[in-house]
Amino acid sequence: MSKTTNTTNDMLAIAQSCIEIAKKKGAKEASAGAYRVRNVDFQWRDGKPEKVEESTTRGVQLAVFADERYAVVSTSDLRPDALETFIGDAVVLAKSLAKDPYRALPDPELYKGQSSVDLALEDPKYDTVTPEIRQKIAKEAETAARAVKGSEAILSVTSNVSDTLTERFLVNSNGFSGKRRDTTFFVSAQVSVKDKDGRRPEDYSYAGARHFSEVPSGAIIGREAGERTLARLGAKKGDSAAMAMVIDNRASGRMVSFLMGPLSGASIQQKRSFLEGKLGQQVFGEKVTIIDDPFIPRAFGSRHFDNEGIAAKKRPVVEAGVLESYYIDSYYGKKLGVTPTSGSASNLSWKLGDKNRDALVAGIQDGILVTGFLGGNSNGLTGDFSLGVQGFRIRGGKLAEPVGEMNISGNHLEFWKTLVAVGNDPFPYSAMRTPTLVFDGVSFAGV
Amino acid sequence: MQDRNGINRRTFVQATATTAAALAVTDLFGLGKALAGTGPAEGIGYFSRFGVTEKLIKDTLGAALSRGGDYADVFFQHRILNNMTLEDGAVNRASANVALGVGVRVVKGDQTGYGFTEDLNAEAMKRAALTAASIAQGGSKNAPKRLNVTGKDNRYPVKVKWEDVRPTQKLTILNGLNEKTFAADKRVQKVNINFMDGSGVILIADSNGRIVEDFQPMTSVYLSVVAEQNGRKENNTVNVAARSDIEFYNPARLDKLVSDGIAKTMILFDAVQPPAGEMPVVLGAGSSGILLHEAIGHGMEADFNRKNVSIYSDKIGKPIAKDFVNIIDEGTQVAARGAINVDDEGNNVGKTMLVEKGILSTYLHDSISAKHYGVKPTGNGRRQGYEYAPMPRMRSTYMLPGPHKRDEIIASVKKGIYCDHFSNGQVNIGAGDFTFFVKNGFLIEDGKLTTPIKDVNIIGNGPKVLELVDMVADDLKIDEGGWTCGKDGQSVPVSQGMPTVRVASITVGGRSEAKKG
Repeated sequence: MSKTTNTTNDMLAIAQSCIEIAKKKGAKEASAGAYRVRNVDFQWRDGKPEKVEESTTRGVQLAVFADERYAVVSTSDLRPDALETFIGDAVVLAKSLAKDPYRALPDPELYKGQSSVDLALEDPKYDTVTPEIRQKIAKEAETAARAVKGSEAILSVTSNVSDTLTERFLVNSNGFSGKRRDTTFFVSAQVSVKDKDGRRPEDYSYAGARHFSEVPSGAIIGREAGERTLARLGAKKGDSAAMAMVIDNRASGRMVSFLMGPLSGASIQQKRSFLEGKLGQQVFGEKVTIIDDPFIPRAFGSRHFDNEGIAAKKRPVVEAGVLESYYIDSYYGKKLGVTPTSGSASNLSWKLGDKNRDALVAGIQDGILVTGFLGGNSNGLTGDFSLGVQGFRIRGGKLAEPVGEMNISGNHLEFWKTLVAVGNDPFPYSAMRTPTLVFDGVSFAGV
Repeated sequence: MQDRNGINRRTFVQATATTAAALAVTDLFGLGKALAGTGPAEGIGYFSRFGVTEKLIKDTLGAALSRGGDYADVFFQHRILNNMTLEDGAVNRASANVALGVGVRVVKGDQTGYGFTEDLNAEAMKRAALTAASIAQGGSKNAPKRLNVTGKDNRYPVKVKWEDVRPTQKLTILNGLNEKTFAADKRVQKVNINFMDGSGVILIADSNGRIVEDFQPMTSVYLSVVAEQNGRKENNTVNVAARSDIEFYNPARLDKLVSDGIAKTMILFDAVQPPAGEMPVVLGAGSSGILLHEAIGHGMEADFNRKNVSIYSDKIGKPIAKDFVNIIDEGTQVAARGAINVDDEGNNVGKTMLVEKGILSTYLHDSISAKHYGVKPTGNGRRQGYEYAPMPRMRSTYMLPGPHKRDEIIASVKKGIYCDHFSNGQVNIGAGDFTFFVKNGFLIEDGKLTTPIKDVNIIGNGPKVLELVDMVADDLKIDEGGWTCGKDGQSVPVSQGMPTVRVASITVGGRSEAKKG
């Protein structure tokens, strides 16, 4: 049953007391983050509940700065005596290490200018979602999946309905205190089907939102999961070839995620980034414009301040293919001698094209629509990548047979310049909000 | 925010790669008087300090079964993880994490209810138990009358507990590795080293009256090297891990870590991405066990099979490989990262034959799937921590030695590749497609290793690839790497091993000229 979702300030008190204890134990400065998370996950499989999980968890993370030294510790053991000993140990731990002249809390100037825009990250009706509602949505998803044409091939349908209420406090001893509450609701369905050759292809669909009323129905998710999976029947390895690649908006996030590490201050300073020294240069195709936008109401990456307390700002990362900024936290900002931006991404806001996935596919004579990646990796230093892909062959502007067990390889510094089109369809269920992306002349390995 | 529902169902393995950092001073964050190196113990020893009593456990199990569940268990955990990181020549960051909590599980048929709490008091535990109980809807069942233990083998050779290790001992190891790495080659530009040690105690008690405590140590070191030559940079990472103590880091092992890290980085200056397409692939002895983990291990986890969604769901008892192919998953290798004294349901851990003489033999079971199939649990019920319900997971997965010789295998390939260092892999359970990512290897041309290769993904289909394993050497090696397996949002430590093996044909995702389609 849902309960105790009113504002509770006990975690703030714990964060504040951690700071006080740390100072008493000899820390010069300290930063404490305290959280409480209520999570419910309901799983339904083939006509009955499979798993019900429900919990409220809490803990603290504490960074201590003592004698120009630094340590960060976290615990779920909040018994007062245990916490006192724990923090004392943290200070002793820090003092046993080497000095680090770059380690300090952020400059308080960086806390200033916090936006007051209402991000609406918490659903005031969170409490109204009951076990009965979750079960109803999960059942709807299964029913819809099994109503798709060809569903006699379905072996199993699993659906999940989950929700989370998170409350976080961040207190820095040099003058920052921040609070954040947010909710998330997710619905997903996974379908397995039996293929003639004995394979049992699976695919899934999911959606989520900050507000329950914005989550698509179980029926929509279930139907899409059923359709996606049944379309995989008869998938074969395609021929090795160089051709166009369309990546759908759900899958394209994986490609973009490989840029995030190399964009970080740590990678730049540690000489582990193929983007080192590339600021102001044309690294991507001209159609790539990405803004880091923390202020999109109800979005998954929205925030007023980052995890160091630095006031969030909207800023360009890539403009018309030119690299404009990195993700730099206060520590690596000092090491690099530059002003920190933020060490982590918020939402990525893309300059969109005017066509959706299907219209983009219609413009391709010969290519592959990638709907999912399998394994593979990307070398953040050299930019070389090699990834397993599955999807559908495109012939004459139409989707043809399903393909799988194929691979693409390339180097990001060349690959992103071959981007020829951006869709109008940002994937709303992820903070990366990637649209459909189209690349030319991609080398596919298959038969 | 993660795409949680989309991502958390993936199954994969990856090499340890810690980005943040830190450590322990004598008795810092200590477990206190934890039993060490004695094997699982009966009854409530360690957890009595948190006020855990037999009555508390029985009351909790009673609440858990109050709505008619078939079975219930409680899983207490107290764990301290320490990390120390060296960057830019100094060990100047450390981290410690303490986890304390208890999870309550109720099982009704194949259905699971789960709740957990960080407060180890009667009221909080009862609330978690009633949450878990809601999976069942019926009358109350009885809690156990008495609690008994099983299993007493110890597989963690720990003479000195991690909390008794002085920080200077760890700093010496880190600084020594840094100096040796820079001294080994002038091209070295950056060195990052992470030292992790962990100690944990778990207590499992269930409604069959079983109760067991186990002390579980873990340690790993990873070394990452960035080198520069003629304006070009390359990077590689090597690591070692074990359920052991600081004596694991003997001079020979540390020297080998440095020489491996240097060799595997410097060779990249001469390496190319191999040609794309289907070709014979020779897998070197050791970490190539990643192929088994992805091609068959996950698909043999019995939860996928009882749900009928694995490509192996109807293949038990059928031939799937040549008769010299034998594949094992076991938890009994002393000090291995994937070793466990008991699984996270309190079951004994042994050896499980996945493939015996080429025939698909036994699934990896937790207690739910074992009951479903009417067999004994295999000791594969594992979980990331008290926040999670257990499920079937691998431990240490490897292939037994075969009739061939390594040199004979390499000499047999006219045009193909040889792989011997990997970073990660993934599998689709039902379709059977799997991948693993090669960091280092060589082209094989006319039976000889020639040009080094790097950064290439290999993709195949599990049963098809096992059929195509046509040579197995006699040089089985269990890898010491820090492998972590992810499934359904939970990470657990695993090991893997392999003799040198030839796969007659598999798709290599290279970069060179592709045929025009």
